Amino acid sequence: MTVVAVPRSGAKGLPVAANRWLSGWARKVLRMSVTTATVFLITSFGTYALGALSKTNPAAAVLGETATPADIARMNHQFGLDRPLVVQYATWLGHAFTGDLGTSYFTSIPVSASIRQALPVDLGITGLAALFAVLIGGTAGIAAALNGGGRLDRSVTAVCSILSTIPGFVVGIVLIVMFSATLQILPAGGYVSFGANPVQWLRCMIMPSFALSLSLAAHIARQLRTSLVATLRENYIVGATVRGLSQRRVLLRHALRNAMGPTLGILMVGVPVLLSGSVPTERIFNLPGVALLTLQSSERHDVPVIQGTLLVTVATVLLCNLVLGALLARFTPQARR
Amino acid sequence: MRTLHRALRLPSARLSAVVLVVVAVAAVFGHWLTPLDPLAQDTAHALAGPGARHFLGTDSLGRDVLSRLIAGTSSSIVATLEAVGAALVVGVFLGLGSLWLGRGYEWASLRFVDSLQTLPYVVFVVAVVGVLGNGLTQAMLAIGLLYSPMFFRVSRAASLVLLRAQYVEAAELFGAGRLWILRTHLWSKILPTIAVTAAQASAECLLVVQSLSFLGIGVQPPAPTWGGMLADDLGFLAQQPWAPLIPAFTIMLTVGALNAIADAISDSADLPVDVSPTQPGSPQEVPDAVAVR
Repeated sequence: MTVVAVPRSGAKGLPVAANRWLSGWARKVLRMSVTTATVFLITSFGTYALGALSKTNPAAAVLGETATPADIARMNHQFGLDRPLVVQYATWLGHAFTGDLGTSYFTSIPVSASIRQALPVDLGITGLAALFAVLIGGTAGIAAALNGGGRLDRSVTAVCSILSTIPGFVVGIVLIVMFSATLQILPAGGYVSFGANPVQWLRCMIMPSFALSLSLAAHIARQLRTSLVATLRENYIVGATVRGLSQRRVLLRHALRNAMGPTLGILMVGVPVLLSGSVPTERIFNLPGVALLTLQSSERHDVPVIQGTLLVTVATVLLCNLVLGALLARFTPQARR
Repeated sequence: MRTLHRALRLPSARLSAVVLVVVAVAAVFGHWLTPLDPLAQDTAHALAGPGARHFLGTDSLGRDVLSRLIAGTSSSIVATLEAVGAALVVGVFLGLGSLWLGRGYEWASLRFVDSLQTLPYVVFVVAVVGVLGNGLTQAMLAIGLLYSPMFFRVSRAASLVLLRAQYVEAAELFGAGRLWILRTHLWSKILPTIAVTAAQASAECLLVVQSLSFLGIGVQPPAPTWGGMLADDLGFLAQQPWAPLIPAFTIMLTVGALNAIADAISDSADLPVDVSPTQPGSPQEVPDAVAVR
């Protein structure tokens, strides 16, 4: 009788790595965190260095034309602009971690106060937009894949290719024309905080977040369709069907889980896409979010505010991608290897 | 070249080529083709519908929409070409360099590209313009930088696949230099991949450029741009709700043509890597640190 060599593994068939001090997943997340931290250092330095490239001297801009060189030098010292760049950067980043991003050159409001006020708006529309994108794109993608080559499949593909040719803000304009100008059932712009009036908040948010979600929804639908069609052809799916499992169970437990990886990948790439699209969206719907704050301070060349908003935006992207990456590594079998 | 011929056999590719030629002609010769002065105001006939004198109607200041559409072509196209050109040069050089210049450079360039990919396009360009001053060149170089990861990943991935081929190994055994291999074996094979990526990037980029000119970044009014026309029309929806559809349709047609060309080339060429998802920095994973000396 021959002994079959069984690979050394944990109780539940986990790979050898599970015997070490951290599970494979935790080590993967740890490695991702290190990469994320590196990337954060690079981008935050870029953000700070961008301000140093500025041609306008903030002190001169604030003090006006009557300022003497001595005044400007004093102001420069007050802003800390007479020290070496790396020192300035380190100080700035250190303060940023304690919630101090400096003050606006123009309004002398602390940058972090402006951002704290504006951030819920962005979290609201991008969060809702991501939700819409997953719901719409997911439904369309699954429907198209199950319909494989049928009329529904082809029309989903056609709608997706048309959607990818529309600039995001056009959808916003069309929605305003339809629901605010013609039907007059939704406000054309403005913002009410969730705490003050949840219903009115939703009424303000629904159009901008829907407009923002469409291009991402198209990408998700296309990606999910492609990977689901490929998965449904795999032997184990055929096997599961032959074993007599219901179509629903095969789809949810076996196919969808494996087709999920590329879709979560799209969502990871989608976070910066959503934040990028939120600039024109917030302008159209007049939403006082971080994107609009960036735009307004860009028009005034208000460097500390620009640096602050860019830093917060990048941090948001990195945090979202870290969470999504951890989920991806946890729930998709092919990424767990 | 042969790939291009094969691609042009597809009807969708021919149609897109016609659209792109029309756009190119409008971009180059637009100055002489406008039926009326794109800046001339005729407030008596403001917001007119399509008619004999104004073929596509007039805007809120009575300017001829068709003339503005034609005159606005060149700035959109020049901006897109500037950005994609910058992205291509930066991305391909960094991408090929990451295979040849050693581990340290490879790691640094991968992290640099990761960093670029976390920056949301419009937010970054708005920030750059806010700091460095509003101008088309600053804005376009900023976009070009953000699009370079697309070219980086694609040229790197394609070269990684090709460098494993046996004929490359054979050439190395015969003592061929790296540059010689790049010139003879690699370049002509990764070119179609780069071309497809360039077409996809141009489509994406054109949309970003429209968003930017809609926000008033880059080309300054009163000079006509497609995105700027959309922004103008937005203010007069009550009087002329269909007006934004004209510039919007122009943008869609151009972007659609670019996407179709990209699809046609990637269908008819035998590409070493999958470039199908038309998504900036497509999520396909590129082998992170494969040792290719």
